Amino acid sequence: MNPFFLGTSQRRLFGIHTPAAARAGRPRAAVLCQPAGDEYIYAHRSMRQLAIRLALCGFDTLRFDYFGTGDSAGEPGDTDEAGMRADVVTAIETLRDLAAADRVTLIGLRAGADVAAQVAASRIMGAPDVIEALVLWDPLQPLDAAQLPVRSLTIVTQGLQPHEQASLAPGAAGETPAAVEYLPAPCPWIEEASTTGVIPVRVLQRIEEWLR
Amino acid sequence: MQPQVEGFNEQVALLGRDSSLVSIITRPAPSAGSDRPAIVILNTGIIHRVGHHRMYVSLARMLAGAGHTVVRFDFCGIGDSAPARDRMPPLAACLQQIGDVVNSLARTYSIPRFVLVGLCSGGDHAILYARNDPRVVGLVLMDPTLPPTLRYYFHYVLQRLPHARNWLSILRGRSGLLKMLTSHVGHRLRTGGGSGEPTLQSLQFSSHLARCYRTVARRSVDMLAVFTCVSARHTYPQQILDAFPETGSGGSLRLEYFPESDHHFSPPQARSRLLRVIADWAESV
Repeated sequence: MNPFFLGTSQRRLFGIHTPAAARAGRPRAAVLCQPAGDEYIYAHRSMRQLAIRLALCGFDTLRFDYFGTGDSAGEPGDTDEAGMRADVVTAIETLRDLAAADRVTLIGLRAGADVAAQVAASRIMGAPDVIEALVLWDPLQPLDAAQLPVRSLTIVTQGLQPHEQASLAPGAAGETPAAVEYLPAPCPWIEEASTTGVIPVRVLQRIEEWLR
Repeated sequence: MQPQVEGFNEQVALLGRDSSLVSIITRPAPSAGSDRPAIVILNTGIIHRVGHHRMYVSLARMLAGAGHTVVRFDFCGIGDSAPARDRMPPLAACLQQIGDVVNSLARTYSIPRFVLVGLCSGGDHAILYARNDPRVVGLVLMDPTLPPTLRYYFHYVLQRLPHARNWLSILRGRSGLLKMLTSHVGHRLRTGGGSGEPTLQSLQFSSHLARCYRTVARRSVDMLAVFTCVSARHTYPQQILDAFPETGSGGSLRLEYFPESDHHFSPPQARSRLLRVIADWAESV
């Protein structure tokens, strides 16, 4: 695990690169897009575990903090959606270089899922060519992943209300395969005496299976 | 990359004996040329070094801007630091890791004096470590563990009497007070009245904790004790003085109460006030 600063001196981001434990075939890589605010704090442990498990599956991963969040430079008032999208792009470019990978998977939790989907949809950097797949975990915003230009898995856990779950149902005629799955797992992004620190193992296992 | 950002710079470091403690060192600008003590910010429970509401990042940058070298790090198994390889008890391992970080800063930057900052379990780690390291000249303890005093119990009961659900809890045997008393008695029986091997869970009833406060007070370590209104560990601001009378005798204790805040300093006004209080206190250490 290699913690370091990435980006530019004007927009310096903190990141942790976890190299693949073993490689077979072409390099595979995943950028992990964190939630925002308190959800970032409480989900940190699960995101770290996800990175470790993916490394064991042969993925290089990069977790990073958006500008103005976590250990990155900037103040909370400096964080906005456009900036978060730019930070995801920076992370993609950095990880492609570190892992020598042509394409990366984006895995986003909560606000991170929203930003990951936006980057994929924006076709920044020719997104369909650079982004291999999307994993959207308990997104904040209603979303029809079938309209995105890359294949996707949307994971819904106990943390979402039924109307939020319904807003993630895929449309009838999508461009790409888009699976939406409900997993009765605890949500790691909420502080609750009984669940804080609990790793939602079922979710991590499902992400691993889907990416293999 | 070690970019310079407005009066301080930040770098990533891997400290500790296995280089396994992920740390962020925030240094004053080279022009600051200060002999101020270094500040070590400790984890709050399982929350990583950023802290609730990014509180420790703001604190580190503010203190570095005032001339302090500040380190935020994750204990083994917390945040981004790898789990410990040995089988040392958790509390002893944490104290050893604080020592490793302090030694590393002392060696690398030739800093002879240190201040430890901790909220909740972080405060407990700070006071326990400070007892045995004379280089620690200051402590910021936020909602640390305090033993219950008679006045604690009086306030505790008074606060809960008007609420019917508390009566129901007593009748069902789920009362927090009953659990506390049971735990107290259990601890006394297990340890025969002595302190036994200290753990964070046993601190509340531990004479070990009293010895730590006594030693630190006798060494005239500057202490800032901060209490919020939401903690099961204390029910009135002066509880620390009743529990550990020597802490108030040397004039080195500053006591601050945040009745408007929760345990995590969630209200922005409370966080702003906390940063001002710490900055003001640190100026005098």
